[in-house]
Amino acid sequence: MELTLAIGIGVLVGSGVWLLLRPRTYQVIVGLSLIAYGVNLFIFSMGRLRVGAPPVLNGAADPAAYADPAPQALVLTAIVIGFATTALFLVVLLVSRGLTGSDHVDGKERR
Amino acid sequence: MPFADHLIIVPVLLPLVTGAFLLLFDERRHGFKAAVSLVSTVFLAAVATVLLSRANASEASTSVYLLGNWPAPFGIVLVLDRLAALMLVLAGVLALAALVFSMARWHRAGPHFHTLFQFLLMGVDGAFLTGDLFNLFVFFEILLAASYGLVLHGANPFRVRAGMHYIVVNLAASSLFLIGVALVYGVTGTLNMADLAVRIPAVPADRQALLEAGGALLGVAFLVKAGMWPLSFWLPSTYMAAAAPVAAIFAILSKVGVYIILRLSLLMFGADAGAMAGFGDKWLLAGGMATIAFGATGILASQAMGRLAGYSILVSSGTLLAAIGMADVAVTSGALYYLVSSTLTIAAFFLLIELVERARDPAATVLSVTMDAYGDEEEEREPEEEIGIAIPGTLATLGICFGVCGLLLAGLPPLSGFIGKFALIRALFDITPTDAGIPAMSWVFTALLLMGGFATLLAMMREGIRTFWTPLEVIVPRVRFIEIAPVAALLLLTAALSVAGGPAMRYMDATARALHAPDAYRHDVLSASARMGAMREADASGERP
Amino acid sequence: MFPPNSRNAEAWLAGVVMVGELVLVALCYPAVAAGHVIRSTTEWAPALGLAFKLRMDGFAWLFAVLISGIGFLVVLYARYYMAPADPIRRFYALLLAFMGAMLGIVISGNLILLVVFWELTSILSFLLVGYWHHNAGARDGARMALTVTGLGGLCLLAGVLLVGHIVGSYDLDTVLASGDRIRSSTLYVPLLVLILIGTLTKSAQFPFHFWLPEAMAAPTPVSAYLHSATMVKAGVFLMARLWPVLAGSPEWFWIVGVAGMASFVLGAFFAIFQQDIKGLLAYSTISHLGLITLLLSLGSPLGAVAAIFHMINHATFKASLFMAAGIIDHEAGTRDMRRLGGLFRFMPITATLAMVASAAMAGVPLLNGFLSKEMFIAEAIETHAISILDTAAPYAAVIGSAFAVAYSIRFIHGVFFGAVPADMPRQPHEPPFLMRLPILFLVAVCLVVGVIPGRTLGPFLHIATMAVLGPATPTYSLVVWHGFTLPLALSVLALALGAILYLALRRYLAYCEAGPPLLRRLKGQHIFERALVTLSWRWARFIESALGTRRLQPQLRLLVLIALVAAIWPFWASQSGSGTPMIPTAVDPAFAALWAIGCISALGAAWMAKFHRLAALILLGGAGLVTCITFVWLSAPDLALTQLLVEIVTSVLILLGLRWLPKRFPGKAAEIATAAAGLRRARDLGMAVLAGAGMTLAAYTVMTRPPPDGGISSFFLKNAYTGGGGNNVVNVILVDFRGFDTFGEITVLAIVALTVFALLRRFRPAPDSIEAPEQQRIQTSFDEARPERKPGDTVSEYLLVPSVIMQWLFPVIIVFAAYLFIRGHNLPGGGFVAGIVMAAAFILQYMAAGTRWVESHLKVLPVRWMGAGLLLAAGAGAGSWLFGYPFLTSHSRYVELPLIGKLHAASAIFFDLGVFALVMGATVLMLIALAHQSIRRLRAAKIASEAAEERA
Repeated sequence: MELTLAIGIGVLVGSGVWLLLRPRTYQVIVGLSLIAYGVNLFIFSMGRLRVGAPPVLNGAADPAAYADPAPQALVLTAIVIGFATTALFLVVLLVSRGLTGSDHVDGKERR
Repeated sequence: MPFADHLIIVPVLLPLVTGAFLLLFDERRHGFKAAVSLVSTVFLAAVATVLLSRANASEASTSVYLLGNWPAPFGIVLVLDRLAALMLVLAGVLALAALVFSMARWHRAGPHFHTLFQFLLMGVDGAFLTGDLFNLFVFFEILLAASYGLVLHGANPFRVRAGMHYIVVNLAASSLFLIGVALVYGVTGTLNMADLAVRIPAVPADRQALLEAGGALLGVAFLVKAGMWPLSFWLPSTYMAAAAPVAAIFAILSKVGVYIILRLSLLMFGADAGAMAGFGDKWLLAGGMATIAFGATGILASQAMGRLAGYSILVSSGTLLAAIGMADVAVTSGALYYLVSSTLTIAAFFLLIELVERARDPAATVLSVTMDAYGDEEEEREPEEEIGIAIPGTLATLGICFGVCGLLLAGLPPLSGFIGKFALIRALFDITPTDAGIPAMSWVFTALLLMGGFATLLAMMREGIRTFWTPLEVIVPRVRFIEIAPVAALLLLTAALSVAGGPAMRYMDATARALHAPDAYRHDVLSASARMGAMREADASGERP
Repeated sequence: MFPPNSRNAEAWLAGVVMVGELVLVALCYPAVAAGHVIRSTTEWAPALGLAFKLRMDGFAWLFAVLISGIGFLVVLYARYYMAPADPIRRFYALLLAFMGAMLGIVISGNLILLVVFWELTSILSFLLVGYWHHNAGARDGARMALTVTGLGGLCLLAGVLLVGHIVGSYDLDTVLASGDRIRSSTLYVPLLVLILIGTLTKSAQFPFHFWLPEAMAAPTPVSAYLHSATMVKAGVFLMARLWPVLAGSPEWFWIVGVAGMASFVLGAFFAIFQQDIKGLLAYSTISHLGLITLLLSLGSPLGAVAAIFHMINHATFKASLFMAAGIIDHEAGTRDMRRLGGLFRFMPITATLAMVASAAMAGVPLLNGFLSKEMFIAEAIETHAISILDTAAPYAAVIGSAFAVAYSIRFIHGVFFGAVPADMPRQPHEPPFLMRLPILFLVAVCLVVGVIPGRTLGPFLHIATMAVLGPATPTYSLVVWHGFTLPLALSVLALALGAILYLALRRYLAYCEAGPPLLRRLKGQHIFERALVTLSWRWARFIESALGTRRLQPQLRLLVLIALVAAIWPFWASQSGSGTPMIPTAVDPAFAALWAIGCISALGAAWMAKFHRLAALILLGGAGLVTCITFVWLSAPDLALTQLLVEIVTSVLILLGLRWLPKRFPGKAAEIATAAAGLRRARDLGMAVLAGAGMTLAAYTVMTRPPPDGGISSFFLKNAYTGGGGNNVVNVILVDFRGFDTFGEITVLAIVALTVFALLRRFRPAPDSIEAPEQQRIQTSFDEARPERKPGDTVSEYLLVPSVIMQWLFPVIIVFAAYLFIRGHNLPGGGFVAGIVMAAAFILQYMAAGTRWVESHLKVLPVRWMGAGLLLAAGAGAGSWLFGYPFLTSHSRYVELPLIGKLHAASAIFFDLGVFALVMGATVLMLIALAHQSIRRLRAAKIASEAAEERA
């Protein structure tokens, strides 16, 4: 289980990094989103994995019976912020495309 | 609790409320918005000053604010100590200057300038105040998002291109930040900085590497903000592209990175962090020095003043990082003084540049560049006209301000730039006891400091001569009072800083000592929790049906 | 304060100030003469050992007199020298400031303070030399002067700091008291070198002499003041000041001696071959200062006495000579000796004065120059330390003096006698009396001191030497006639040699170009200029471009690389074994399969992103869905819900954006992969793989370690209900325990929405992406791709049925959102989710009925929503202040609601309401702003053009 998730995270981040290093703005934005997924899962995994633990309090006193809620809260915040920044970057790349006429990250083709 | 205790959170709330409030009004009402924004910023600066005096009141003075009345480390805390207070005041002052400057014309260049500006302030102040690692991330995002907006304020191709680089680099850095926080949490199970400082010594050996990796990733994220070579190439272009007031307030952004590094490196990997003590210091030292060298080279190589200013930010950051890397109390206090001085200077310089650029005629630029490049082939000269040219008042004022900036940046007497460098070098020499040899690192650092100053002197001389002395027919720029006033005010502040060198240094010393002995900080934060906690339990039980 | 060129007023003011100074200094005389030291201390930065301490002893007093006295004469002189049109305000202001700084140097009692004033003189001299900044010569001279002396100043600072490090104080008295300690220190050599670089640059000593001749572009009064009497004297002053501390060691002897002797001889030699009078005087200054330096280097008290004596003498005669040169320049219109001659018959008085002064310069008996020179020769003959330098000293002395005689004669003869050249620009005549007065006075001093030294200068010189040497002051006799001694003979010899030399060179000199015959090409100025330009411009640019980049990809590469190194380093550094892992939970095949899909879609997205954007987007969505399911699987429903909604909104945004990106097909000319490109790809691939592997390892390692005991989460679980009043721990954390995070997070959202809005108002689509077909194609393909989200964007305006359905859906969704919101505190849901759902409702309206219809029917003001939301959240947080609790403290109690029943309402619910409002506003704002582009393109273009105008 852990291994599967770990590999998943790795693949997400890896392909994200690859895209991040590409010259086209669109590739970069896709890459950033992939990295965001990977990172979110990574934060989540820091609370160790719980399968089938009740998501909300149901009277059971022992905290160990539940999944670690703190990382989940962090992930929620991270998701929202990631969403915001993605949207912003999307618009910036559109505007840059509009103003410079190119979708290269440097605003001009490399020669 | 009395209302006075809520003062700590005001620097975060006030800008937020102001910004949100401004959203309720139509964006064409520039005058009104500017007025509101100005009032709030003045108030902000005042509060910051009050907090500073409070922090300076007693020896061990760390006041803690428990948000949601949850005890640390479980809830989020705001912590006000000398360092935080100092940075708050600095931010407030810069904000005031930039805001006044922007009212001349810039705040009309695009929608929602004032809201974004206020949100930026909120982010900066929050980053200075918060005592929680993840909350720090949130505030970083706030100030970054606002800064994205401000960089692109009044978008033109140049700005958009620079802003794109800025955004991508910082987004990548933010994911590093998250990974780092996650690792730290995964290993220690806490997010509160003070609590971290308590737990880190107890981390079992087989996880120290993980923790250090987390710390290192965090460090990289902050170093991107602070602009350490080779993570800093985006910085000069971005700051150069940004509108003048924006660039001026950005002068504090790079210092936010420095601030966090200073705080965390001493809290997490401080003296009593056991096996991990002093983790990363060497890297900071080396990186900082490299940054100074690169920045100085860039200063020499830059043709446009904006780029020059950007590079001088690098020099300043490099100096601070290297000073942190030395991990010595006296050096730290000198560095703090230098931080304040250089930040004020660079902000003033950014504002000044725009005014000066108005006076620049392109022909002279080209001419003098070639003159610089081939300075050695001037055998025959025009017959010398031995009657001086009167310099018009505006230009003279600009010239004086420029000269002062030059002195400050180059660290020449008598202004605070000199005192800062002097304090640093003095501390560097005195690391070892009297009459013992001086460590090689001090030598290198000193040499870099002096050479950096010299390079700045050369470049500023070149720029100044090119701008103020070379043009044959004088162009008098149109400068409004509210544009030159902030510049003059900032420069006067540095003058005051150098005259009041004694008290200032005393404050810095106290700050540095507190930073290097974080026990008081830890104890204050974690003990503040117990007291408030009791209160909250009581009322909770009382309300349970 | 004064109108730009009211010469008299300013001249008067300046003159008065100078005289005032003089009087003040004179008043100090009794005390100083009695051997006391006047001190006045004001603390500046005690923590740094920095005090504003003034300290006047005999030596300082003598210099103070010199500075203020000659200062006054120069002011008087400049009044007549400067042209009526000159902006004299600036001139006098700078001159006075300079005098202040100079006095500061001589009377500062704290070494750091001294350095401060030292640098001030450099800066002010920069401004004074560049006073006529419209002349390229003045600019370059000023720049070079400041460059050299500024560098020297930095070195001096470092040296002084070393002294302070050794002595433990920068106080001059303390330092003077602890000479042995400094000389015995291991740091003696470095600090000596640093300090000497400072002093030698300041007083233009070899090899830093070259800036002085360049600085001659300054107005003559400036030269007369700075370059004869004061600034260049600062260097030798400091050397004399620290003489008791530093002198006496072989290092001192060698460095100072060599520099002094070289400057003495070479300066004099160069001076002979100058054509510009001021050039000649400049080189002669170098030479005379060299003489002083050489005297100081000897390390014998008598030498020091002679040095101090000569400092004064040189100041007097050189200042007067400079003034004379100024007069000549003024009257004859040129300073080129080839174009001058026979001036005696036009200006006999000036000529006479100049002759006396230059005679003093040459060291003719009965003038002060003679006395000090004789002392010098006497000292040179004495053997101090057996070395080549010492044996060479006498010969050097004679030769140098001979050169001095030669150039003095040349100056006099070339300018005042001989035939009047045809091309002399102007018909000269005597200057006004007051302009001559300063010269007259100075020359008188030369004469008087020369004839009766003991009675006039004797006592002053005595207190000065006492102040420097203290008890070690030797007995010396200040008389003209010592009888027939070897020094006398040598002086005579020098005179004769000089005369012969001049006669020999005369013809040649009359026509040659400036500079000595062989070394003409090799001028310090040019070498320096070249070096400076190469270093500070060419190399700097090269290095900057080599070590820096302005392109994005290299930066990101570096960032990733450094992050990798930083993360991996600790594992290398620490050899700690990898502890004992827990037993990993069993792998569920379905989960594995799920992630197989996830990985494939991620890789696919990476592969497709370049050419098939839409496919990449879909695959991205796939990866996102997998993430959602994972969250569900691992018992985190809140995350799953949020992730899903965010997923949808993001996809819609990107879809709306896609149409403005350029078409891109495989195999375009620009895309042909070269070998270099291939290499880059390989490298990036490697880094990507490494990053992925690193994350995998880190995640796996952490997950398989037991969680740290005493973490904060257990507290949350315990107190969520009792304290936070909610069963959904995650939500309670979000709105209560860590509500401040949420607070910040929504602010981010607001900021971004505003930025997006602001940017898109300026949006100008690229020309090639405006025409319709591409848009159509994208939409159709998109519709095929995602049936469940068929109505992509504006196309759906033409689809009637769905639009009707969606308008019906509107209220339903609203109710759903409300439900999600209310249950949020106890079950998955909450303000954020509700907000996004609500936004979705609006968007559906837009899609269904089209922008215009919606905006005409229901009024959406997203910006207001955002503002209100933020304020609501802040208000909810600040509400607790009234109950005396900190920000965001929540209170909870049960309320009975009809239909819904018993509800556990925490005050945090208002906070959540704010969140809801803001999220909805922000999301709607972004989506609308983007969707609008298709219909608002023209307006946007118009606005953009307006913006362009207003920028221009």
